[in-house]
Amino acid sequence: MRQKELKLVVTFHTTADAMAMEKACKNAAVPGRLIPVPRMISAGCGLAWCAGLENRAQIVGLMEQTGIEQEELHECMV
Amino acid sequence: MNLSDSKKKLALAGIVCGLVAVCLAIYGNPANMAFCIACFIRDMAGALGMHQAEVVQYARPEIIGLVLGAFIISFATKEYRSTGGSSPMIRFVLGMIIMIGSLVFLGCPLRMVLRMSAGDGNAWVALIGFILGVGTGAFALKKGFSLGRAYVTNKTGGMVLPALMVGVLLLSVFTSLLKSSESGPGSMHAPLILSLIGGLIFGAFAQKSRMCFAGGIRDVILMKNFDLLTVIVGLFAVMLVYNLVSGNFVLGFNTPGVIAHSEHLWNILGMYAVGFAAVLAGGCPLRQLILAGQGSSDSAVTVLGMFVGAALCHNFGLASSGTSLNPETKELVAGAVTTNGKIALVICIVVCFVIAFTNKRKEA
Repeated sequence: MRQKELKLVVTFHTTADAMAMEKACKNAAVPGRLIPVPRMISAGCGLAWCAGLENRAQIVGLMEQTGIEQEELHECMV
Repeated sequence: MNLSDSKKKLALAGIVCGLVAVCLAIYGNPANMAFCIACFIRDMAGALGMHQAEVVQYARPEIIGLVLGAFIISFATKEYRSTGGSSPMIRFVLGMIIMIGSLVFLGCPLRMVLRMSAGDGNAWVALIGFILGVGTGAFALKKGFSLGRAYVTNKTGGMVLPALMVGVLLLSVFTSLLKSSESGPGSMHAPLILSLIGGLIFGAFAQKSRMCFAGGIRDVILMKNFDLLTVIVGLFAVMLVYNLVSGNFVLGFNTPGVIAHSEHLWNILGMYAVGFAAVLAGGCPLRQLILAGQGSSDSAVTVLGMFVGAALCHNFGLASSGTSLNPETKELVAGAVTTNGKIALVICIVVCFVIAFTNKRKEA
């Protein structure tokens, strides 16, 4: 079983924003993956973007550049 | 208690919900319909006089309990959040589509799983349609489908549906205003207090585990994540054991008394519409009730759409009939999908495609 690690988790207002983030990250070769929003963050059932903490600046920059609006940035065990 | 930090706990949530369904079946709910969101909303719509099908009218306390269970647990654990404003009228239509698809198939995704656990081949056939429907919805999500974001609203906004449910409960206990079937599925029910407690428990566990039949398959398709599906597997396992032990497991297609039909194409298309519409609306019928309980006015509107959809199904002859035994001749009478139901279902699927591919995320 995969060990849980402290990760950067970006939540969004809509599932479409999360899907757009996946596309933008793929195009810009920014590492990360889509995950269900961790239960400790929300009772909702949307999608979130999960990446290493070291990618924070890159991810924030990419969201500014592409106009993808985050709901919140979290650091949590995933 | 965090129910979602391991697959074992998620499966446990499914098992608890399965046990609730078992208890309700033992104490009087219709066989093979221990807990069906679509059927129970249809019964409630009948109790409120929204349709006149005399055999399916009863204010199901399970539905009231689900909403209140989610409301109470979310409030107690500070997860209640009043939100709204994400294309409410489109969600209303999606609620209607979910109900029409369900009543052509004869059950929501929850009942489909319960029927599968009892050996009903028709439910296994319908599962194909449900997976394809969820897959189509997931494809639309990948293509940028969005109904827009929800906004935080006045705290009381999200309390309206729970309050309405309390109102229906009070009417059913203290007055004779609501209609109640004297025969047929609507007349078969567990005692009110047991149904209510069952609904509360189911609602609380479903809220904590985020149980969702459409979401479970959506997450597998989009992320290869099996967490939500684990809850469903737990529920299925309990019901399978119960059906095997109690002798209710009957493998076959034309089983009388199950309230099902064997028109395979329409079973597939019925659940296709449900799966498709559920992904677009952000959750299966059960999940819509839970989200409404934890404060989403958007989901509450979807629930209202389901009520109206149920009424239309019986007022316009869209609901299918189940296979049964003729009590006099003892001959098998095959259940059937009505012509009106077929036409309505095709329209519903077309509408799903229109909604899915005309509502796009706004690019910055």
